[in-house]
Amino acid sequence: MAASILVVDDEPGIRTGVREILALEGYDVEAADCGRAALDLIDGGNAYDVFLIDYRLPDIDGLTLLQSIQRKAPDAMTCMITAYANIETAVFATRQGVDVFLPKPFTPDDLVGTVENLLGYKKLRDEASALRAAHEASLLELASEKSQTHSLVSSLRDGVLVANRQGEIALANRAMEELLGAEADSLLGRQASVALADGVLAPALASLAPDNPAPGVFEVEVDAASGRQAGDAEPRRLFIKVNGFYDDKGARLGSILTAVDISAVRRMAMEKARFTRTLVHELRAPLGALKSIIEVMQDRSLGDSLEPYAKSLARANERIDGLGELISDLLSLSSIEHKGTDQTPAAPLDVAPAIRETVDLWKDRAAAVPVALEVDLQEGLPPCAIADDDLRTILTNLVGNAVKYNRAGGKVAVSARRTPEGIALAVRDTGIGIAAENVARLGEEFFREKKPETKRIEGNGLGLAIVKRLVGHAGGRLEISSRAGEGSEFRVILPC
Amino acid sequence: MGVTDAKKLLFIDDDQDFLEAQEAFFGARGFVVLTAGGTDEALRLLESETPDMIFIDLMMEHFDSGFTLAHRLRREARFQGTPLVMLSGVAAETGKDFSRDKEGLRSWSQLDDFVDKPASAQRLLKIVERRLAAPGRG
Repeated sequence: MAASILVVDDEPGIRTGVREILALEGYDVEAADCGRAALDLIDGGNAYDVFLIDYRLPDIDGLTLLQSIQRKAPDAMTCMITAYANIETAVFATRQGVDVFLPKPFTPDDLVGTVENLLGYKKLRDEASALRAAHEASLLELASEKSQTHSLVSSLRDGVLVANRQGEIALANRAMEELLGAEADSLLGRQASVALADGVLAPALASLAPDNPAPGVFEVEVDAASGRQAGDAEPRRLFIKVNGFYDDKGARLGSILTAVDISAVRRMAMEKARFTRTLVHELRAPLGALKSIIEVMQDRSLGDSLEPYAKSLARANERIDGLGELISDLLSLSSIEHKGTDQTPAAPLDVAPAIRETVDLWKDRAAAVPVALEVDLQEGLPPCAIADDDLRTILTNLVGNAVKYNRAGGKVAVSARRTPEGIALAVRDTGIGIAAENVARLGEEFFREKKPETKRIEGNGLGLAIVKRLVGHAGGRLEISSRAGEGSEFRVILPC
Repeated sequence: MGVTDAKKLLFIDDDQDFLEAQEAFFGARGFVVLTAGGTDEALRLLESETPDMIFIDLMMEHFDSGFTLAHRLRREARFQGTPLVMLSGVAAETGKDFSRDKEGLRSWSQLDDFVDKPASAQRLLKIVERRLAAPGRG
């Protein structure tokens, strides 16, 4: 596209001459005979690359017009034409921001040369300003990226520490400050291995040294005092990784250390290991007993008649039943774990039939002890949001315990009452009771009170763990009150 | 083996059925079989009894009850030469820390044998025969 030029001169000869000369060069040329006319053209939406302005105009003086033009068309080039060429005018006009000064009289070559120079200069200037704009835009982008990255890194819950090529600390986020118990400001610029030479993190920090390019993995325990949560008495277990980071060409820029708190994961793993260990023991014990009972029979240790073995055979049968129960309980626990996140409330259930039928299942066992089984259900109990199977599992465990841990001639009373919260189910026994210090541990997996009275009672310590979880799943709670030697009461409060 | 020189075996285990089976099995072979259902009961019994050999279940009240008991008995002059046998699936029941240092534990508790559970009575009998035939510990 041809460059457009506006000539502003009150002399018609100049206007005509300039137009003709520049038109021959292929420029689009317009003319204005006064300052006002020139501004009207600009305001009318015309754009020009070059303004040729006479210093002396009838309405507005050339310098005032120049300033207006610079405001309205800041990218345009300006040339001042004047017959009164002298140094002062030139210097003054230049100071006002005119790009070039063209003294009258000028030759067509002077004019064409001046315009060409101006356009060349304009092109350079436009390119430079485009570059500058791009550069500024990218700087702005960088600045915002940098601040985003910074806030991202600093709000990470994992500790991050960055060391530069020289092994000096370049960044430590908030989590890291807490872990180290030091402000990042006091660390920046210092050698990591020197600034933090003490403490359990020292080996990990030493690996940030520039002469140690090997990535490292560390697991350390830190004092709870530097923990994020107040009152967290357990030491925290940290998993620390140190890696070098590199530029596009593979040159090492520094190292980054990340510290992840794995205390919770570790705690879970340890709980799981303890569970497995206990389970192995619980499975091995009856197997060991069964094996030795069988061996005694194979050995005929007690003679050839079956009679002397009758008692241990009955025990063998009980141990096998115990194993069967253990397996069922493990399956129950596992299925409760699976529905742990399922929050769908169960359909409302009329609890009375489930209670009566479950208690009924224990009739024979109760008669064998013997203990009296009593059921007392209030009339018009509201329906409860609990699965039928879950309620039966809860009850069979509680009633079963009440029968098993009872004394001959004792009593088991099962009752259900309406309460402001919903339904209170109670199973009360006249059994051996539980020592006060052990009540809180009931419901812990595999926990059984070890005392002479419980020795021959089959049980695996999972029943109450299951009850506790099922009650919790139904949104209720389990209350236990007990007196050693007198009996216990287990209350299940279910919301309705 | 006559009645007068009948050897006394003590089984310490929290499983009553296991203890009763050992009574029958070793009793049939002329041994005097003593049993204890736990650490405390064993210590009470040992106040008046000095068995020729002691079998200890590792996991009773605690995961390492057996080790603690063995260590304690070995420090008593009376049991310096008594063969002590630990019954347990050591690795599985105590976790990696114990199994990694089985030798260290053996020297700490000065145990003579480890037997995995479930233990065979025939296997225990072989250990009894070997240990009681061997000259006493120095």
